[in-house]
Amino acid sequence: MSTTKIKTRINGKQIESEVEPRKLLVHFLREDLGLTGTHIGCDTSNCGACTVLVDGKAIKSCTMLAVQADGKEVTSIEGISKDDELHPLQKAFLEKHGLQCGYCTSGMILTSLWLLRKNKNPTEEEIRKSLSGNLCRCTGYQRIVESVMYGAQLMIEKEAEEHEMVMR
Amino acid sequence: MNMSTVRWEDSDLAYDSSNFVRGKGHFVDDIKLQGMLFMTVLRSPYARARILSLKGGMNSQDLGAKMASVGEGADPGAGISIEPVFATGFVNYVGEPVAAVFAEDRYKSTDLLESVEVDYEPLKPVVTMDDALAFGPIHEGMKNNILVEATKGDDFSDPKSPIVLEDTLENERVSTNPIEPRGIVASYADGILNVWISTQSVHSIKEGLVESLNLNPDNVRVMQADTGGAFGSKGGLYPEYVMASYASMKYRKPVKWIETRREHLTSTNPGRGVRSRVKIFAERSGKITGMKGDVLIDAGAYGSGIASFSAQFVAMMMTGPYSIEKAFVTGRSLLTNKVPQGPYRGAGRPEASFFIERMVDLLADEVNKDPADVRLLNTSDKPFNSPLGMKIDAARPFFESAIKELEYRKEAKMTKGVGVSFFVLVPAVYPGESARIMVRDGRIRVWLGGNSHGQGHEDFVKKLVNEELNVPGDLVTLYRGDTGMTKVGVGSWGSRSAIVAGAAVVSVCRKLKKDVEDDNGTYSYELLLAGSYDEFINEEKRMTLNSFGANLASVEVGKFGTVRVKKCLAYYDVGRALNKEMVIGQIQGGMAQGIGQTLHEGLFYNEDGQLITSSISDAGVPLAEDLPNFGVKIAENRSALPHGAKGVGESPTIGVPTALIRAIEKASGLRLRKTPVTAEDLMQ
Repeated sequence: MSTTKIKTRINGKQIESEVEPRKLLVHFLREDLGLTGTHIGCDTSNCGACTVLVDGKAIKSCTMLAVQADGKEVTSIEGISKDDELHPLQKAFLEKHGLQCGYCTSGMILTSLWLLRKNKNPTEEEIRKSLSGNLCRCTGYQRIVESVMYGAQLMIEKEAEEHEMVMR
Repeated sequence: MNMSTVRWEDSDLAYDSSNFVRGKGHFVDDIKLQGMLFMTVLRSPYARARILSLKGGMNSQDLGAKMASVGEGADPGAGISIEPVFATGFVNYVGEPVAAVFAEDRYKSTDLLESVEVDYEPLKPVVTMDDALAFGPIHEGMKNNILVEATKGDDFSDPKSPIVLEDTLENERVSTNPIEPRGIVASYADGILNVWISTQSVHSIKEGLVESLNLNPDNVRVMQADTGGAFGSKGGLYPEYVMASYASMKYRKPVKWIETRREHLTSTNPGRGVRSRVKIFAERSGKITGMKGDVLIDAGAYGSGIASFSAQFVAMMMTGPYSIEKAFVTGRSLLTNKVPQGPYRGAGRPEASFFIERMVDLLADEVNKDPADVRLLNTSDKPFNSPLGMKIDAARPFFESAIKELEYRKEAKMTKGVGVSFFVLVPAVYPGESARIMVRDGRIRVWLGGNSHGQGHEDFVKKLVNEELNVPGDLVTLYRGDTGMTKVGVGSWGSRSAIVAGAAVVSVCRKLKKDVEDDNGTYSYELLLAGSYDEFINEEKRMTLNSFGANLASVEVGKFGTVRVKKCLAYYDVGRALNKEMVIGQIQGGMAQGIGQTLHEGLFYNEDGQLITSSISDAGVPLAEDLPNFGVKIAENRSALPHGAKGVGESPTIGVPTALIRAIEKASGLRLRKTPVTAEDLMQ
């Protein structure tokens, strides 16, 4: 099958690739680029395990073709932390037991990140509503909601710290 | 370099939650091997049909093997009804594997499905359990559709009782729906079949492959990948595992198969699918004097494993935690043209509890007493051997404290829509579990026969090793299941791991301590870590354990039959909690599944046997906004085991549906007999 050239920026890195037009973004990330932190849980865009940020917006990468990502910036779970330091949301999910089997976790974190960038201090209800496109079968969501609330706090604190460093 | 095997570093083989927040898990679909083929399965579009001709792909002409029965509730079932790996002569459910195709990627592999030609002659399917009883057998050579018939207790003639109540109660089928679907990578090299798989039990998979393909066990190694949930559905063998393994040997290439969600819903064993006629005899006081039951299990198209075992298992537990002197229950597993039934969190326990708890609530209404008081009246403060074969510890003291801890009396005064439930969970202790501990280079490395899939086995292992051997937890690593590292083992299901794997770890630790003492005359963890040791134990366990539990639910029912769960509380005896945080997290997750089964989840088929609920949403997996915050309290009454553990994993799926359906019944004023309770049911 013929291929098409696409240029994307994935986790901060400019990438040129040849892809089949029918290839889904999630398969492009996982199989062509080896970014296996993005998971596939359903065929119907319900479960959200494949959530990534495309130009900053949470997108289910199983509903988007790789060619549609041409010229766009994609952030997957592998791209949210710098070096070995965990992102505050990653820390929060670990500390507050926001996961059990770990399969939905990447998608949960990316959807939450998208939410927290729009709304720094969401209520429990807002978090539950935002996460309703992400399914978890292990936790019953309670600890995920607690993780997002705690992550929100950590992000606010970190931002304040960084702001203070700039001011100095 | 040999590219037919997975190159994971030592640390990649450990259970480690921190991998998941970084996107660095090692799930089976993450495996990429050189020359690997992707397998896609052509499945039956009919619930029942004769195969007139079949050309192309790998099919029953290439591999005529039958499925071995292994794993949870393993039961060889009736010979004629054992599932073939590839449909042979007939197809018997929508989604049954007919042929498999192989290509270098999943897109090309899917394209190849078109190269397989099948002619079917559709036959009238047996879809419901009533059909199964009314019509002739779905399998040639059988007399009828009864796969297994069992009885528990001694039959008795109906006594002259002031109160006789009878009802028919039902749980629809529920898909287990872990977010990670099933999957396998099989690679055959140098005479060894290596398998990486998402599973609850590497040993069941190995045993199944060895038996189905008639292999030498020494030449098969099964390794667990990170396993993204299972809830019963990843404990045993499936046809795709046999096909992929066979294909890797035939083509001398690694073969990967990853299930789609639609395949999961049509072709992975779902749970529940159980109905019972129940009759109870009682005094006017609410004291139950006798019970009769007629349990029907919707086994699906082929009989093995839990589908045949359930008939006696559900029947045995039908008197619940209550001291009912007379009971007689028959159980029948019925063959239907649907995907074979399997275990789902509780695997018979929630079904039996649903039957007795619904009857106790009915009785309370009949004698006009509080359902909690009727429950108390029927419990004993002494141990009780049920006429169906259950050993029950003194149940009343626990339920008395549960009423207090759940603040039931207060809630019942304030709220109309309130329900309370009581149950006893008997975890699957038999036949025990294996554990191996290796001490090398100042580190402790541990393997268990049964395999974690989100429960956090690593936490209790670290704790027990620390308690027994004083070794700091950060020097202890639990590795994923690997039949190359444990000779034998069982699996993680039936609320058993903390009990039996925990007991095995304790025993191995004690062996190691003795080894160190024999070598040095004394024990210290420094001496242990300075040495080199390797101990394995396959610890047989037969004891009966009881974990009591109670739930409270309160609801409001809206005008259009919408149910809002206001409170969902649990009070469970978990034995000694080896890690309280994990125990509570697991209970919360199970409570979500309990609400799911009661309000949202079910697999529905039309009269042709086609699955109507064929997406994960249609199957009803609850969303974050569907669920309340849960209130969990635990009692820690130690078991007789050295480490004091009891079972907990299945408690919430037993106790939540029964409390919740009662709450809805009270709020709506309608007698409710089945799960799920739909909005339509409540708008009558």
